[in-house]
Amino acid sequence: MAVENEYAIETQDLVKIYKTGKVKAVDGLNLKIRKGEIYALIGANGSGKTTSINMITGALFPTSGTIKVLDQEIPKNRRLITNYIGVAPQDYSIYFDLSLEENVRFFSRLYGMKKAEYEPRCKELMKILRLEEKRKALTKNLSGGMKRRTSIACALIHSPKIVFFDEATVGVDPVLRTFFWEYFRSLKEKGVTLVITSHVMDEAEKADRIGLMRAGKMIAEGSPEELKKQHNAETIEEIFIKLSEGVVVDE
Amino acid sequence: MSKESQIEFLPKNPAFSFRRTLAIAFKTINQFRRDRRTLVLLTIVPVITMLVFGLALGGEVNNVPIVVENNDLLYSGFNLGNNITSVLENDSRVNIDFTTTYTEGIDFVENGKFYASILIPANFSQNLVHMLAFGNVTPSFYIYIDATKPTVRASVLGAIREAVEESIGEKGINLVQTLAHEGAEFTGLDVGIPAIIAFELIFLLVIVGVITVTREKIQGTQDRLYATPLRSSERLLGYVIGLLLIATIMVTVILIFGIFVFGAKVRGNAFLLIFAALLFGLAHVFMSVFLANFAQNELQAIQFAPLTAIPSMALGGLLIPVVGLPLWLQPFSYIIPLTYGINLFEGIMLKGWGFKELWLDFTVVAGMCLIFFVLAVISVKNRMRD
Repeated sequence: MAVENEYAIETQDLVKIYKTGKVKAVDGLNLKIRKGEIYALIGANGSGKTTSINMITGALFPTSGTIKVLDQEIPKNRRLITNYIGVAPQDYSIYFDLSLEENVRFFSRLYGMKKAEYEPRCKELMKILRLEEKRKALTKNLSGGMKRRTSIACALIHSPKIVFFDEATVGVDPVLRTFFWEYFRSLKEKGVTLVITSHVMDEAEKADRIGLMRAGKMIAEGSPEELKKQHNAETIEEIFIKLSEGVVVDE
Repeated sequence: MSKESQIEFLPKNPAFSFRRTLAIAFKTINQFRRDRRTLVLLTIVPVITMLVFGLALGGEVNNVPIVVENNDLLYSGFNLGNNITSVLENDSRVNIDFTTTYTEGIDFVENGKFYASILIPANFSQNLVHMLAFGNVTPSFYIYIDATKPTVRASVLGAIREAVEESIGEKGINLVQTLAHEGAEFTGLDVGIPAIIAFELIFLLVIVGVITVTREKIQGTQDRLYATPLRSSERLLGYVIGLLLIATIMVTVILIFGIFVFGAKVRGNAFLLIFAALLFGLAHVFMSVFLANFAQNELQAIQFAPLTAIPSMALGGLLIPVVGLPLWLQPFSYIIPLTYGINLFEGIMLKGWGFKELWLDFTVVAGMCLIFFVLAVISVKNRMRD
């Protein structure tokens, strides 16, 4: 269960301006993600979700602001947390010319896992993610949904404490999406913190808390129920539209 | 900071992990193992190139540095030695040093500073006059010549023959040729092979290297790698091990073809040759990691191969020896790795040179390795900041 006031991730006044293009991709983001919660970062394409995640995982240097993950300052101490975080990026981000199993094994080696640790863990993940039959197949020959699950397996192989799923459920059929959310819940029950980004508003309903992002800024934050009550709206989408009025998007 | 104890930060991330490095190396090799067609193409192409270049490497070159010692004495009003040298002097194919003696010149030919040393003996005019009058002697002069470069040799001999004909109008002169490097004499095909190996290493490693790194970007795996314990140094070294292994196999195939099919010769130490190939390859692996920075997709990545190969080919001594290039172009030759690569491969394969003669080329290639290594590390690190 989510722990009040104990944060897995904290950012303060986080800003990112890419060298190419002067737009603030992330503009003063203050995030507090509790340990053991499912947090959904919702926003349209280009709202700064992926940039934020990349800064939090240490893959990208912020222009200004501070980030703390598991109480470690990022990017300064990013090497201390790498074993505790898992990332399934927006693109499948797997090696298409390797087999499913080779992909997972490659990432396990980067985490320094020994064969004895890796084998049972890989078996477990293959079973949960229903990938057993295709483990020898080249990932380029897999369906989109399977590629997505391979990507998730690579992110989870080292049993991380925080997992980032960037647009994990995009292009996934409803049955599989339901399955994903069930699986996310089960991870949460094991004490894993999940950060999920999506541009699909109704996805957010299933999260413990939601952050709505627009043009690099957080425009609303809270649990789905809280937000709906607060803004007197039926759906998250409605809230988003309401809040977006008057905010000029600088594309 | 008080909560630090809640998660045990195990000393799981050593400063450098060979395991992670090998993971990258295996992955790189595995990826190319799956892409056999590319590998076969990249191996067959050099074999064909070898043949084509070998056969086409005829012709002559300009500005070949040679030594001429003219000791000819005036005889019955003739000094034919002087006549010959003055014609030679105006021949653009050769560049004559008159201040060095024939014997000194021999040493310079052996160490590659000059390509031929010529001695016109004191009795040359006398013998010539006697030949014309009595036909009882044949005037000779002596050439100590580097025969490992057919184009260079053709230029020197062509210039001399013309000079003799023009100044004397006679063909009965005996040119006593001694071949440098223990008599090593090569045809265009022999000569093509070391240069092609050097060239092919560049072509191959730049393609394979840039693609490997660019693929990480395209497939999005780069972002994922940044979030793992993998360090940029490990990543770089992993690529290097993987790519060098691929390169070694391919160079071996090229060498086997060269030696057993085309009859190329390796006069020097085979291990030194492999070491030279690896060092030269290393510089290009680092270079390609650096270049990969500027490619957004595989199509762009492939363009880097001709982009590096064509100037190298033109200026590095593949087609025309560096000394034969226009003077203003020569400085550019000395900043191109292929120039030194060809020196190394030709030195070891054709001339039987060792480290003693080639230390400078080895040093320069090692220095280039270091420069590209630094650039590669900087570029790998920088990607996190833009």
